[in-house]
Amino acid sequence: MRSFPQYFSDLFGGIRSLLTGLSVTWMELWTKKVTQQYPENRKTLVISDRFRAELSMPHDDNNEHACTACGICQMNCPNGTIRVISRTLETDDGKKKRELDRYIYDLGTCTFCNLCVISCPSDAIKFTNNFENATFTRSKLVQQLNKEGSKLRAKKPVAKAE
Amino acid sequence: MILNYSQPLELSKLTSWIDTALQSALPGFWVLFIELLLVGIALLAAYAVIAIILIYVERKVTAFFQARVGPNRVGKYGIFQTIADVLKILIKEIIQINRVDKFLFFTAPFFMVVASMLTFGVIPFGQGLQAIDFNIGVLYVTAVSSLGIIGVLLAGWSSNNKYSMIGAMRSGAQFVSYELSAGFALMTMVVLSGTMQLGEMVETQRYCWNIFNGHLASLVAFVIYLISGHAETNRGPFDLPEAESELTAGYHTEYSGLQFGFFYLAEYLNMFIIAAIAATVFLGGWMPVQIWGWDAFNQLMWYIPSYVWFFGKVGVLIFFSLWVRWSFPRLRIDQLLNLEWKYLLPINLVNILIMVLIVLSGLTLTDIFGK
Amino acid sequence: MEKIKQIVLDTVKEAVFDEQERLIVTVSPKELHPLIKRLKENNDLPFDFLVYLIGTDDGEQLTVTYLISSSKNPSVEIILKTATADRENPLLYSVTDLYETAHFNEREIYALLGIRFINNPDMRRFLLSDEWVGFPLRKDYNANPALNPISVESRDIVDLAPRIMETENGELVEEIVKIFEDDDYIINIGPQHPSTHGVMHFRTALDGEIVKKIDIHSGYIHRGIEKLSESLTYPQILHFTDRLDYLSANINRHALCMCVEKAAGIEVPERAQYIRTIMDEMNRIDSHLLAWSAQTNDLGATTAFIYGMREREIILDIFEKTCGGRLIINQNVIGGVMFDIYADFQKDVKAFIPYMREKLKEYDRFFSHNVIALGRMVYIGNLSKDDAISYAVTGPAGRASGWSCDVRKHHPYALYGQVDFKEIVRFQGDSYARYLNRLDEIEESLHIIEQLIDNIPDGDFCAKTKAIIKLPEGEFYQHVEASKGVFGVYIESRGDKTPYRLKFRSPSMALVSVMPLICRGEKISDFIGIGGSMDYVIPDIDR
Repeated sequence: MRSFPQYFSDLFGGIRSLLTGLSVTWMELWTKKVTQQYPENRKTLVISDRFRAELSMPHDDNNEHACTACGICQMNCPNGTIRVISRTLETDDGKKKRELDRYIYDLGTCTFCNLCVISCPSDAIKFTNNFENATFTRSKLVQQLNKEGSKLRAKKPVAKAE
Repeated sequence: MILNYSQPLELSKLTSWIDTALQSALPGFWVLFIELLLVGIALLAAYAVIAIILIYVERKVTAFFQARVGPNRVGKYGIFQTIADVLKILIKEIIQINRVDKFLFFTAPFFMVVASMLTFGVIPFGQGLQAIDFNIGVLYVTAVSSLGIIGVLLAGWSSNNKYSMIGAMRSGAQFVSYELSAGFALMTMVVLSGTMQLGEMVETQRYCWNIFNGHLASLVAFVIYLISGHAETNRGPFDLPEAESELTAGYHTEYSGLQFGFFYLAEYLNMFIIAAIAATVFLGGWMPVQIWGWDAFNQLMWYIPSYVWFFGKVGVLIFFSLWVRWSFPRLRIDQLLNLEWKYLLPINLVNILIMVLIVLSGLTLTDIFGK
Repeated sequence: MEKIKQIVLDTVKEAVFDEQERLIVTVSPKELHPLIKRLKENNDLPFDFLVYLIGTDDGEQLTVTYLISSSKNPSVEIILKTATADRENPLLYSVTDLYETAHFNEREIYALLGIRFINNPDMRRFLLSDEWVGFPLRKDYNANPALNPISVESRDIVDLAPRIMETENGELVEEIVKIFEDDDYIINIGPQHPSTHGVMHFRTALDGEIVKKIDIHSGYIHRGIEKLSESLTYPQILHFTDRLDYLSANINRHALCMCVEKAAGIEVPERAQYIRTIMDEMNRIDSHLLAWSAQTNDLGATTAFIYGMREREIILDIFEKTCGGRLIINQNVIGGVMFDIYADFQKDVKAFIPYMREKLKEYDRFFSHNVIALGRMVYIGNLSKDDAISYAVTGPAGRASGWSCDVRKHHPYALYGQVDFKEIVRFQGDSYARYLNRLDEIEESLHIIEQLIDNIPDGDFCAKTKAIIKLPEGEFYQHVEASKGVFGVYIESRGDKTPYRLKFRSPSMALVSVMPLICRGEKISDFIGIGGSMDYVIPDIDR
């Protein structure tokens, strides 16, 4: 059995703690609201450059990319997200050369681990921060990353030793 | 001397005009019939409108307490959000659940709604805006508002769901306990005003609200009434019957569509009713602020229609209720009962005794300064 | 060490020693229990903490490995091994009577490897359903989906537990016991419930509002990460760690990275260590903030939940700018970190520290002293120190029971040896102590970050590693202090680029396993509140 003064000190202590709590919410009532108004603020929205939203293959103005179809990214991907389909061409001087036919990327199974990008020897792919990826069907998540008619960028001419 | 100023926007003019128009055109029986019908429709409409406004207000105020913006998509500042929600709930399918006690399951929401509807009859919304002015208005309010618990218990029992059952049982314990405190707090005020008639109670508070009239004892009664009223409406921190983090949704877990809508509606209306009774009994109801001797000021105050005063006072109380709800964690059932039986009820009993002494010895503010 | 060896030899003469990083003792199944019992009752240094319990399929025999340590001196660790060659009906002796944490671990081993443990009071499968065909972690497991079709039919839960007990005269008796009494009022809290923090299933017997008994069903999101890892290379496995306890994603990843680095002898640059430590602490703040928010929400204070989320958002923004992920941040890689810090990193972090301190004061005013909150937390869910150790409850929850178990102090890794911080230990062992521990740890984490943020040295942020990382043969174990407790990674390598066996020691499993103990006799609403104070994360248990 607790004493009589204890009863009252509990009572008033309790009331005081409740009033402190109320004062906190009262202050918060007037603070600036933190919600982002998403579709309205699209113009001012800053998404970090490093944000990984989807894989892309940068093409330059000549519609050329850097992918040599080596398939290292495909090997490194833990989920089987990437499929590199290559075709073999014969060059003018009769050598056989492998070339990228289609670079298939399935956004639906990607875990954004970035292994493909760091393992790529020719820096042909990178993640972009275009985060608006919602689609109505899952099949639309499977994308071809190389553009139609694109080809491998010619390597910068290396000065020959001779 | 009691001044009674006329006010152009007062709705009582409209009602008396309708009355005279009907009297001149129809026999007495029909007049009564049509007027009852009109009153019924008006109350129903008020019921729906108040609920819709309250839901919107709650969502917005809550959001502001929580550093959010709240509904802002449907209409400017989201004002049509609740209307859209009401439409949605109206066209939603009512899910038939296999092993429920069908009859009780369907009856339960009606109990909730009817209980709160009935209370509307005696609330004085403004000067002359009161369906019936009983001479036992306070008693009627306490009696009718405790009907709602039957709905909760039935819902919990008939749902054939263990969560609902626990929620309903909690609700029963909570309601019965807090009914006591609420009743005693009102009783204290009845002692002070010497009447149970709500209209007359408002009248007696013309120059001095009851909350000040009985000194500290009134204030204590007011706080206790707010706490127990809050508990009766099952809103946080006393929302144990629903307790979404424990019982998912408590007694209305199994309800869907319009039936759920009824519970939802009743919850908000109960909140309004508690605030309305508190405003009427403690804060002078629809009576504008009047100060003895300041005739010009009093005149000015009367230019604001009485129903604006009423809803203003109710609004402040509702805001307070929201503020409390969104600030505190939920109590546990034993703490809830502790609070009632160890703190509120003893304090209340002492309080009513003090109030009786104050009134008998003629120490109320009106006794000292008035007349 | 020599003394311990002597004790082992006194108890078991045929014990085989193997000294690697830790002392490894191999004994026969029958001798294991007496040996562990002897070590646990050792007065000078009682081995009362079972760190992990791992089952492995060695090809011919099924091995179980125990790592035991002492709560008095956590730096002393012994590995005990025992094995059975019987693949049809493998039986080993349970150590549940010595370490309560063994109970769930043994059930997990039964589900995944099929070893049954004699004297374990409840030998149902954990993580997998009773009908599952095959034992996934065995090397001869048939993964054909046709064997285990996805059932769409509703099945009743049978509350019966089989077990094997040894009678006094050495006979083995198989029996089936009822978990609940016949007239118990049982409600299912979960698998879909707002307050189980994931898909967890507590079958709860109630006596009115009072919790009588809790039976835990888990495995609703069991993904078989340990099995999957056996066919992936080490860099590939990394991305699973973030998906265990997603709230301390970076810390988990740190553990695996360190384990691989230690095994492969990779030196991590100083700059990477700084970034890792800072990010770990940021991650800890993030996780504790969420724990705080979730706990307040479990107690019914929704507003507090949103305040916590608001502060957490700032950390997530910093994560996003640093490494492009918010929850699953993929920052650590073997040899360092994936991304260097961005230009304004220091500025952002330094702005966050005083802001967070301000908000911690607000939390204190808002919730920590609120009379209702106190009533819901003080003296609720008491966990004694002995129970905490026996159940291996580590992290803020273990430290709230007076057990100093911070890996950062006892086995300093990264830069924790160089920074000054306090280990927060409380002795009450109730929900409130756990609650306060988290808030104080946020403060300590801020203090750690403060010391490091200005001193990040220049240099590489990632060491050069081989394209294909192969670990030498052996067993490697590395633990870190995740936000929930001790998170460990165990790798058994056979010299390949993939691990032979990989096991994550999850702190949440211990936190959940102690729930039936501390919730018994509490009200149902406190059961939810205690759950919030333990702060478990389900994917960490289900793996």
